[in-house]
Amino acid sequence: MLFYLLSVIALLGGLGVVFSKSPMGSVLSLLLTFFALAVVYLLAGFAFMAAVQILVYAGAIMVLFLFVIMLLNLGGMGTRFELSAAPLSSSRAKLAAVVAAGIGLAGLIAAQRTSFPALPEGGAPERIDDIQQIAIALFGRYSLPFQAVSLLLLVTMVAVLVLAKRRGKESAQ
Amino acid sequence: MDVPLPLIWIVKIVVIFGGLVGTAALMSLAERKVSAWMQYRIGPNRVGPFGLLQPLADGIKFIFKEELIPAGANKFMFRLAPALSAAPAMLTMAVIPIGGTALIAGREIPLSIADVDIGVLFLLAFSGLSIYGVILGGWASNSKYSLLGGLRASAQMISYELTLILTILAVVALEGTLNLRAISENQASIGQWNIWTQPLAFVLFTITMFAETNRHPFDFAECEPELVGGFHTEYSAMRFALYFLGEYCAMTVLSCLNATLFLGGPSVPFWPEAPWFIGVAAFCLKAGFFLFLFLWVRWSLPRMRFDQLMRLGWKVFLPLALANLLVTGAFISFGAH
Repeated sequence: MLFYLLSVIALLGGLGVVFSKSPMGSVLSLLLTFFALAVVYLLAGFAFMAAVQILVYAGAIMVLFLFVIMLLNLGGMGTRFELSAAPLSSSRAKLAAVVAAGIGLAGLIAAQRTSFPALPEGGAPERIDDIQQIAIALFGRYSLPFQAVSLLLLVTMVAVLVLAKRRGKESAQ
Repeated sequence: MDVPLPLIWIVKIVVIFGGLVGTAALMSLAERKVSAWMQYRIGPNRVGPFGLLQPLADGIKFIFKEELIPAGANKFMFRLAPALSAAPAMLTMAVIPIGGTALIAGREIPLSIADVDIGVLFLLAFSGLSIYGVILGGWASNSKYSLLGGLRASAQMISYELTLILTILAVVALEGTLNLRAISENQASIGQWNIWTQPLAFVLFTITMFAETNRHPFDFAECEPELVGGFHTEYSAMRFALYFLGEYCAMTVLSCLNATLFLGGPSVPFWPEAPWFIGVAAFCLKAGFFLFLFLWVRWSLPRMRFDQLMRLGWKVFLPLALANLLVTGAFISFGAH
């Protein structure tokens, strides 16, 4: 019951992100979604995941989003962010929408087809969010993918820096 | 006589949150009293004995004041922001163990509202959320002073949160648990207090505490000569008071956390079998010391510059906290602990 309520809240938040007229509204809607998801984790017994979700996404990443929006929007704080319909109807946007829909559909099909391992006898293990278990899995069995992901983040960061520098140079000339 | 469990919960919640809000109210009086004493003045002494009812009078005044919303402000966010600032600070009190286990009417009652395994994470997650109140309040006011104050405050809080987390992490690594109750129970005698094993983390945490709550000497959010009042320039009446309540609550919670992490929580030095109410009193004394430190520093040190603050945060505190964590990890791995 609670789960359905939370799903509705999360979905409403998601819709708010897309349909909100001001970027600030989008960010706050996304925040709402993250909170609803955190409570869903909590319901499933992943207290650790819930806390990390709030700590990382709500506490750090969304604040950075807010920061960027505030800094870019300094000129007209009270004015609404004007979204024209033109870029949305370009062929690129259509392609992007198709790709996004395809990925979502593929995810749905994959979730349908995958058979999740049945719970061991006697229901879920007692301490499903044992931090030691998570740490052992993260730094033991999945150590290589974990480091690969951090490397990917590093590469992204360097790429963004290079792009930003180039644009800065162009505007200087 | 058997008291039903929900009743105990309700009583605990009322007592602990009441204590927190009461402390915050008293802090508003103490702020003025202590500043008066340090400047050889008397301070408020008209309302009640020693001016003790002054916070109550202030509260009534705040409620009956006219509330102004600046033109061009985002009304919804403007109203929401002070609550977003105050609520997380109050919520985090729920996981702090203010004492051991109380024996009342033959029943053992653990003296914290929620005894959760991820207490430290919970506290960090929710104290991180109080940034939203500041940043949204500054943005929604539609005023340049508010916006600059909000930006400064949030930049500062994000920067110093890293140091805060890393210092706490060193203690957590040493204790091997995220449960605040377990951490405070592991420091039962004065020799086991974490201040001896983690002196650097203690110093860093104490200084970072000031930056996290936007207190002097790091109070750039409300740097009066430059920014009028910072992010709450445009606020009036009870919403203004709510910001202050949030700030005092955050100070109280961080003081309690400092006492729990480094000073053994409710443990009494040289009296291991002290009854529970003595433990609670010891805890209040330890937390009260840090609260006094906030005021003491405010009237002793000049305000820093913003670039100095950022340099201190990123180039001094962060490397120190990282090195501290590294050394702690090495000690644990090589079994010297």
